[in-house]
Amino acid sequence: MARGGGNRSRLLLVILLVTALFFITLDLRGVSLTKGSRSVTQTILSPVQKTVSTIFSPVGRFFSDVKNFGKTNAQLQEELALNKMLKSELAMSADTKGQLAQLKSVLDLAGRGNYKVAAARVIARGSASSFSQTITIDAGSSSGIRPDMTVISENGLIGVVKSTTNSSSIVLLMSDPSFRVGVRIARSQSVGVLSGLGGSNYSLVLLDPAGTIKTGDILVTNGSENNRPFVPGVPVGVVVGVDNSNGSLTQTGTVYSYANLNDLGVVSVILSAPTTAPSQPILPTPNPVVTVYVTPTPTPVAAATTGPTPTPSAQPTKKK
Amino acid sequence: MSPVRIISTLGFFFVLFVIQESAVSLIHFPISGFSLYLAIAISLIAFEDHNGSLVTGFLAGIVLDLSPTSNAPFGQWALILTGIAFLFAVNRDSIADLTSSPITFVIFVGAGVTLSLIAYLLFGSLLGEENGSLKHDSTILLGNLIWTVLFTPIFLPALSRVREYSLTARERV
Repeated sequence: MARGGGNRSRLLLVILLVTALFFITLDLRGVSLTKGSRSVTQTILSPVQKTVSTIFSPVGRFFSDVKNFGKTNAQLQEELALNKMLKSELAMSADTKGQLAQLKSVLDLAGRGNYKVAAARVIARGSASSFSQTITIDAGSSSGIRPDMTVISENGLIGVVKSTTNSSSIVLLMSDPSFRVGVRIARSQSVGVLSGLGGSNYSLVLLDPAGTIKTGDILVTNGSENNRPFVPGVPVGVVVGVDNSNGSLTQTGTVYSYANLNDLGVVSVILSAPTTAPSQPILPTPNPVVTVYVTPTPTPVAAATTGPTPTPSAQPTKKK
Repeated sequence: MSPVRIISTLGFFFVLFVIQESAVSLIHFPISGFSLYLAIAISLIAFEDHNGSLVTGFLAGIVLDLSPTSNAPFGQWALILTGIAFLFAVNRDSIADLTSSPITFVIFVGAGVTLSLIAYLLFGSLLGEENGSLKHDSTILLGNLIWTVLFTPIFLPALSRVREYSLTARERV
């Protein structure tokens, strides 16, 4: 065979390329064979992912923890060697506690919205071989989860269910470039469309030409027909930048999401939303602000002082 | 490539795929993720002869197409990795041998991974897929390149031995 391929080699290349194109055509035409093969793969993968996730989750943030290595001194290293097994157990315990805290928060958010939810643990993240942003969760159709259901974390919306098997589901994250969600601004009730950009920022396009976006505006989901794929009122994010360039029909803005998609441990899938009344937005609870009133002790004033002496209660209070 | 080797290669790629999807993808790599699957697949493509490269590339692509998280149509990775395998096959003399010039080999593997991801993006765009902003995609490509170049020398000797073990006596000659 000549270098670069002879007739047989060229024939092989053509056969393989045509086969690949044949598969692509079948998939694009919606033949269930290709979709079925991916579903079977997910069914095989999910038990492995569950097991690996249980073992692997304390190690998953290895690189972000590396910077703390320098803080350990010789004494700590000795203790580490002595208590290796104990520390391993503690790491597992801390991981479980972290997941429990996330579960509590996410159930709290779901409770405020009167949503019926199914809690699930994240067992895998999307492959680095593709550019799609997904997670796999350990609950599927046996828990009542169906495709096109809203998925929330402790802070708000994170995505939508893409596909399910009996015991696992794949969630398309809101950061995925193909993700779109109808949102409304809590302040003005203007409606817009939020798109994922692949990172932690999102693009907002208002639908109303007369509507305005302001920095700090809070966005909640607008809701879909029959609450699928999105239930109304779920916190989405906050506007961090507004594009006021001329020439566009409607205003656009940059949004930062409430949910941290890089730190997902436990999530909830909204199985059903209240149907009695239009859902009120479950806006994020503001952090409590501690107000301290400082009243200075009145100093003794000489009787000969001229002018009115302010009483302590009349003095201006200092607000921290 | 004998039928037995085709089946064993397919099995190997499936095990590798499970490891990638269940373990490697859980690690939060700085900059961007690392695809162990692509790095090993490209390395194996580079090891093979002309026809072997094409078949290995196609098989690696077919297994990768099984990924349930993928938005791309089934067959896209098979098409791209077959094309990359063809490029490796026709440039075999430039890639050189792993033992004689390992650094060149690693650089070629890194370039192969990056090129396949770029081809995936471009082909996806032709099919109407949305792959995010240029900055985001560039970060993923850069991250994959860096991690591939860093990690490939670690697994390459072991991979070379496993491959030699899987060869038949005729293929060793």
